[in-house]
Amino acid sequence: MCRTSLSVLLTNGGVGSTISTISDGKGEGDMRHNGHGVRSVDHLAYCSGMNDWNPGFKVVLSLGTLAICLAADRAVVSLAVIAVLAWLQNVRGGVRLSAYIGLLRAPLVFLLLGGLAVACDISRVPAGDWSLPLPGFYLCTDWDRARFACGLVLKALGAVSAMYLLALTTTACELVSVLHRVRLPSLLTELMYLTYRFIFVLLDTYGRMYDAAAARLGWRDFRTSCRSFGGTAANLLVVALRRSRNYSNAMAARGYDGALHFLEEKKPLRRAQVAWTLVFWTALLAMRLAAG
Amino acid sequence: MREIVFRAKDLYFSYDGKKNALDGASLDLYAGERLAVLGANGAGKSTFFLCLNGVLAPDRGTMLLDGELIGKKERGRLCRRAGIVFQNADDQIIASTVAAEVSFGPMNLRLPEAEVACRVEHALDYMELQPFRARPPHELSGGEKKRVTIADILAMENDILLFDEPGASLDPAGEERLEAVLDRLHADGRTLVISTHDMDFAYRWADRIAVFCAGRVLAAGAPETVFRDTRLMARTHLRPPLLLDVFDRLAARGFVPAGAACPKTPDGLEALLGREK
Repeated sequence: MCRTSLSVLLTNGGVGSTISTISDGKGEGDMRHNGHGVRSVDHLAYCSGMNDWNPGFKVVLSLGTLAICLAADRAVVSLAVIAVLAWLQNVRGGVRLSAYIGLLRAPLVFLLLGGLAVACDISRVPAGDWSLPLPGFYLCTDWDRARFACGLVLKALGAVSAMYLLALTTTACELVSVLHRVRLPSLLTELMYLTYRFIFVLLDTYGRMYDAAAARLGWRDFRTSCRSFGGTAANLLVVALRRSRNYSNAMAARGYDGALHFLEEKKPLRRAQVAWTLVFWTALLAMRLAAG
Repeated sequence: MREIVFRAKDLYFSYDGKKNALDGASLDLYAGERLAVLGANGAGKSTFFLCLNGVLAPDRGTMLLDGELIGKKERGRLCRRAGIVFQNADDQIIASTVAAEVSFGPMNLRLPEAEVACRVEHALDYMELQPFRARPPHELSGGEKKRVTIADILAMENDILLFDEPGASLDPAGEERLEAVLDRLHADGRTLVISTHDMDFAYRWADRIAVFCAGRVLAAGAPETVFRDTRLMARTHLRPPLLLDVFDRLAARGFVPAGAACPKTPDGLEALLGREK
């Protein structure tokens, strides 16, 4: 139980459980080590068909689309963003549509609940166009509010799609290198880089500790689980500290002198991609104007 | 005798200022040799490697590289000549893709990018890692990670390679692969130093054996000489390799020709016994 909660903590939200099925279709045996959710999103990014796109371009595409989707504030634009990005992920990225919808399900649940809260009002007397009698009060809404809530949910879903475009096609280290290029202090980018690597190292270690505790009935009931979780967490800290020393030794052994440098694979920007992006954005803007 | 590339004399090192991890260790490395370093856990093998590579500065003692004295401030020179493959690959791998990982060392040498790219390609080819180049290290198996860590060091083009218990986490197929790589590296003329607990491997593979105990080098010499020193074996809690043990028992009963040297492989022993027949 605690193990899933840790991996959920490391992913953004509750996507962990839904995505473990996605990479099966690719037929890669890489998930043998562990089926953690955070690994699956990461894995998708590494084997995405859009992995060879220029990472800076993908950031611009995602953020630009996100901005247009938010600024346009029209359901038709949001729908277009959702549909086009889903198509792109499917055709170019190679993510199965069912898997992609599965990924969107978790944020969708939150958005729908939030949308419901926006659309409905609680009143002691029936009000608006519809009211649902419940013991002691009425749940009421009217056309305008429902329309507004729908637009809001679609807009948010469009924004999530735009972010997924980035998350599912770009590896964390590429994102960091883009941030480095836009002059984020190297202290921060290097910290992000190492944190990213350490997540997997520690997740691995935690997995082994979890199994070792399980082998001694460490998770048999709530009290024992709490104690085991506390113990493994404390142990993880000690291991992390020791690991950090080993790491710094290993880095010094290869001539590390205070700045992390790696050779980056060249991923050229393609003209066709830029052209299509401009077409896409123009179409979105045209829709916005047409929608009035 | 081959020329000495590295000489350590009376090295002392302590992590905490109380207990000496190295307690007067002295050892010579000869160019192009295969040296196996044996010793119990905590005998100082890894600390010695870290000193040899320049990560740690010995508290006392002298280190000579190609006959030149290495002062504390010149330790940086050591990591250009000697590279360590760490025991735990996850302690060494730092980058998020295999190719970036291999480039880390050469980039730190401040080489031009074209040269780095060339070295990375060569190291990836050498370790047969091209199919994995864009993969994240956490998706690799233990054996694959070990190959990445070796490629890391190859890309730095060090001529002295130190392996800290490389076989520890490998399956038999992985070990076989490792030995093939070691043979190639030896053929390329590199100086190879391996710390190991596998006596059979050490006997079969090494030209010379050094035995560490409590921070000192108790013996360094030909495998047969070292392993036949029963007092040394008892003192350091090591055991002679199986083949040597079997050979000596056979020799005691007169099954092998008098004066024959112990072969390095079971096949060699079979040939020896066959000839006797």
